[in-house]
Order: sequence, then C-alpha cells, then structure tokens
Amino acid sequence: MYEYSADTIQSLNLDSLDLGDKKYDELCQIGCGAYGTVFKARDLQNKGNYVAMKKLRVKLNEDGIPMSTLREISILKQLDTFEHPNIVRFFDVIHQNILSDERYLTVYLIFEHVDQDLGSYMEKCPPPGLSASKVKELTRQMLKGVDFLHSHRIIHRDLKPQNLLITRAGGLKIADFGLAKTFDYDMMLTSVVVTLWYRAPEILLNLGYGTPVDIWSIGCVMAEMWRLVPLFCASTEVEQLKCIFRVIGTPSMNEWPENISLMWSSFEQYSKVAFSAIFMDCCSKANSLLESMLTFNPADRISAADALEHPYFKEKENEPL
Amino acid sequence: MPYWYFDKKDIRNSPSFREGIDYETEQRYRREGARFIIDCGTKMDLGYNTMATGVVFFHRFYMYHSFKTFPRYVTASCCLFLAGKVEETPKKCKDVIKTARMLVDDKKFKTFGDDPREEVMTLERILLQTIKFDLQVDHPYSFLLKYAKSLKGDKTKLEKMLQMAWTFVNDSLCTTLCLQWEPEIIAVALMYLAGKLSKFEVVDWIGRNSKHLRWWEMFVEDMTMDLLEDICHQVLDLYSQSQQQASQQDSPPQTQPEPSTKPPPQSHLPPSKLKPDLVAPPHSAIPTLGAQYPQRVAPPPSGHYPNPYPAHPVPIPNIHPVHAVVPPGSQYYGHHRPPPAAGRPYYPPQ
Repeated sequence: MYEYSADTIQSLNLDSLDLGDKKYDELCQIGCGAYGTVFKARDLQNKGNYVAMKKLRVKLNEDGIPMSTLREISILKQLDTFEHPNIVRFFDVIHQNILSDERYLTVYLIFEHVDQDLGSYMEKCPPPGLSASKVKELTRQMLKGVDFLHSHRIIHRDLKPQNLLITRAGGLKIADFGLAKTFDYDMMLTSVVVTLWYRAPEILLNLGYGTPVDIWSIGCVMAEMWRLVPLFCASTEVEQLKCIFRVIGTPSMNEWPENISLMWSSFEQYSKVAFSAIFMDCCSKANSLLESMLTFNPADRISAADALEHPYFKEKENEPL
Repeated sequence: MPYWYFDKKDIRNSPSFREGIDYETEQRYRREGARFIIDCGTKMDLGYNTMATGVVFFHRFYMYHSFKTFPRYVTASCCLFLAGKVEETPKKCKDVIKTARMLVDDKKFKTFGDDPREEVMTLERILLQTIKFDLQVDHPYSFLLKYAKSLKGDKTKLEKMLQMAWTFVNDSLCTTLCLQWEPEIIAVALMYLAGKLSKFEVVDWIGRNSKHLRWWEMFVEDMTMDLLEDICHQVLDLYSQSQQQASQQDSPPQTQPEPSTKPPPQSHLPPSKLKPDLVAPPHSAIPTLGAQYPQRVAPPPSGHYPNPYPAHPVPIPNIHPVHAVVPPGSQYYGHHRPPPAAGRPYYPPQ
C-alpha cells in the first residue's frame, strides 16, 4: 500500500538518478577573475556548438543555498526570456556534487559563447582606430543593453571592455552581470585584482551606488573607443580619483559628499579640461554626451534611457564630424 | 530551456507509473503532497504564493522522479522550504521539519531518515537540478484579481464569485492542472466555474468591444468551451474523490482537524454539491473587494536586495481601489515583473 523507499536520499546512488546526461564537454579555460572561472565548452546536445561555462562555487549556509544566489540565477533565467539583442544569452544551469555534504555547491552557468570582446577588438583595430559611426553604434548598443538591465533593476557594477562581447555580425552583447551578490561571498576569498579604470567616483569613495555607476563605465568605454587607450588608469582608489579629477575637474567643496573618510582637501585642485581638447576629432554632440555621462555627481549623470535620446544618436551616420 | 507543460498522456506515463505505481495512486500521492504543503505553509503563516510555488515545484519534480524513489512528504517539505526562499518568505529548514513532524504520523516521518534536516538539504540540490532553477512561477491568483477588476456588475455578487474562484484555485493545486495549462487559462476557467455556481452572469466588462462574446476573450484568445469544461471538471473531480477517499481505509487520516471543527468555509459554494474546503483556504488568502478589511497600501518598492525577512503576514490583496492593489506577484523580489514573453503559446504543443 505505502511504497516508501527504504533508503534515505543521502544513501541514494547518484548514477541511478536521472539528473540529465553529460551535456557539455569542457575544452579550455577562457577567463578567470574575481567573477569566477569561465571555460569554453561544447554543447553535446546541440550540434557541439561552443558555449561559455561559468563555474561558480556557491557557499552553502546553514539553510542551504543562499537566497541571493537563488534570486540571481532566477533573474538571469527570467531576463533571458526577453532575448535582448545586447545581452549575452543564458542557456542552462547545472550543478555538481549534489549528494556530497560539502560546504560548497559547484554551479555551472552556461552562456552563449562569443569569440571576441571589446578589449581584443580594440587591440586588433588598425589605425586610425574605430570609425565615428562604429563608436556611435557600439555606444548605442551598450546603452540599450544597460537600459534593459536597469529597467529590470539590475546594476552591472563592472562594465569594461572585457565583458562587452563583439559578435561576428558586429553586434555588442553585455556579459557578466547579475551575480554581484553571489560573488560577494567569493570575492572575500580571492585576491584577484579588479580593475578600477571604469569605476565611478562614488564607488571609489565607498559611497552607496546605483544605476549611474554603469553610465560612468559606458562613458569611460566610449572615450576609450575614440582614443584606443583607457581614459583613466590608476592602480589605487585615490590615484584613480586624481586621474578622474584631472579631466573633469576636482569637485568644489559644496559638491563633495558628506560623511566620507577621504577629505576634499586631500585632493589637488584641478580645473576641468574641455572635452573637445581631449577628443579633438570627436563631434560636439559626442563630447556633450560624454560629458553628461562622466559627471561626478551620480544624481546629475544622464540615465541610459535619456542618453539614447541624446542628439548624438539623432544625427545621421554619414554626416561630417 | 525546459517547457513545463505536458499532455495528459505524458502525465499518465510518469516516472512513478513506469515504476509500477498506478495512475490513481499517483494522483492521490500528488494530492496528499500538495495538501501537506498547504497545511504546513498555513501553520507556518506563509502566504498563498509561497504555498502555491511549493506545490508547483512538487508537481514538476514528480514529472522527472518517482514517488518510489522520493518519499512525498520529504519532497513536499523541501518544496515548501525552497519556495519560502524563492518568494522571500524564508523559513528555517529545521522549522519546516518541526511543522512537518506535527502533521504526519510516525510511520511517514520515518521517511525523513535519521537526520531529517540533512535529508531535506540534500534533496534541495536534487530539486533545484530537476526544476532547472526555474524558480519564478506565476499563479492563477494574480490573474483572478486582474480579471475581477475588469468585470462589471453587482459588487457583492462579484465578490462572492471571486472568493469562490479563489477557493477553486487553492483546490486546483491538488490536481495536475499546473502541469497542463498556464495560470491565466486556469484562472479563466475557474472564474467561469465560480460564475456558474454563484449564478453571476457576466454581461459587461471594462474594455469590451464588439468582437468579444465572452469576457475572457479580452485576456485569452481561442479558449474553447471544451477546454474550459475540462479544466472545471478536473477540479470538480477532486470533491468526489475526497468523498470516496473518506471511506477508503487505504488512506491514513491526516492529522488535521475534522471538517466539523473547521471554521465555516469562506466561500459560498452550494453545500449540497461541493465540499469546498478540501483545501481549507487560509483566511489571508481570501481577497476582498473592499470595506471588510482595513485598506492596505502596496509596500514601497524595495531596494535591489530587499530585507530577506519581510514582516508577516503577507498583505491582503485588495482589489479596490486600483492604487491599493497588491498583486501577489509583485512581492517577488520587489522587482517589476516583465510582461509575459510575446508569442508565448497558450496551448501546449499537440
């Protein structure tokens, strides 16, 4: 009548369970950073197409898998149903050591594999660099992707050329988002150096942050596409801030945020450099957009939605600069 | 990505069936599991969305595993535990087990093994793999509220109909309907059933146009009467089953209050016909059209990572006035919900 199994789940033989066949064949490591290790793999059930496998070690707490991880993976799945053209596709999630009672669960997130990122794309770009229309098109696509993320209340936090992927068709796709909370666990354990070059001032000053941090990063990337060299590069927070102030000018004492450890007086007073002097071959509308993205006060920084309405994008592609 | 809707024949040819459990027995196991989740959730003061999410996980799980391999009360406890986390109403694993212990007899509790907590935690990983991290589940409740808002007519009657439909949705969790049809479809069918039984004929609705013969055509296209009737019958069949089962010795009594000690059902079903409290609806789950409850205002949108331990109980959805609506789904992560993906098929592939 009651067909209870005699065994408990922990004593089950994993092989007897139908938890899916081996679906992916790992090929090589393609990236490693604070945000986990990424492998290139073949999707065995899908013509052997290449996929990117991101390996996550999720620390289990006393109540199993943390809510934040469940939430973030679930949001990734939800976002993927929109198939936004500027967001990297998320195909699958699998995990290992199901039956072991380790303190970590290894989760693999399977993403679309794209060969090239914007970093290598810019490196390979022959002089005189990217055309004005290409810069505009890529900036537009970045903003579209970020606008989509922001409309779903996701802040990327770490936009940089290395996680902006360039497809063969020349489209741009944003990768590496939505796992900030999950990685916060791991971040404490790794000593991987995270680049500060695209970080907004409010992050460098350790203030709270919101969606404007991504706009700052887009501004930095857009400037880099023009110049083919990073706009602000330093290796410490304070140096990075100085680097920024040398261009946008040191904020006035009134603009300096309250209750922060870094004193306004500890920074040299730089005056603002005209953007047109840095980006000389850049049209005035592009400079005006850059300026509104690289604004010290996050509250005054342009939003992704507004940036997409900027006159820069209204102007015809083949108009002279 | 997995597709969570199945043909009836796939539901019949389940892993349990292939291991020799007959269809009726499996249906009973499913009912008992679902009911256990609801009883457990009610005892723990969890909201209807959390319970419904747990039940959907449970039904999906047994489309890939057999009741022989995975004892249903352990699975049910695990589904409720995971649903608690997913719906931002987390409960400690040990508390879920404590509640489960109160609800099942010694023999059934033996299936939890020597270390029930570890058993549930291990199962959580199998459950997640099985349901493929598809954690966000929509339920018919939010659609009932949406539909009710658009219907015109006598307010008292409308409220009665809505309450009855709500009870039917609660009870439908004991069926495999959530494996067959999208929540919007189930909501239409059960609202239709409630309208029939409460004798409320919907003749006019907001947004009506000349092409519409029935109110639901505004929300769901190409819904045939056959389909509508089929869904209603699947729910109605529960009530006859529950009567049959009461006389069956095969099903040990659940540790629940006898029907006579239950509070009178909130819904207004014709008592001669139905036993509406097959699943006793938690009181907070009954929506109201106004006056009876103090008006609740939608909570302000929370930050990116809201407080994981929100205050209980879950706000009562209030369908008037419009601004006070707390659609059940909006609690999810405090995020805006995306509209259903365009082109999503209403019918499972034939």
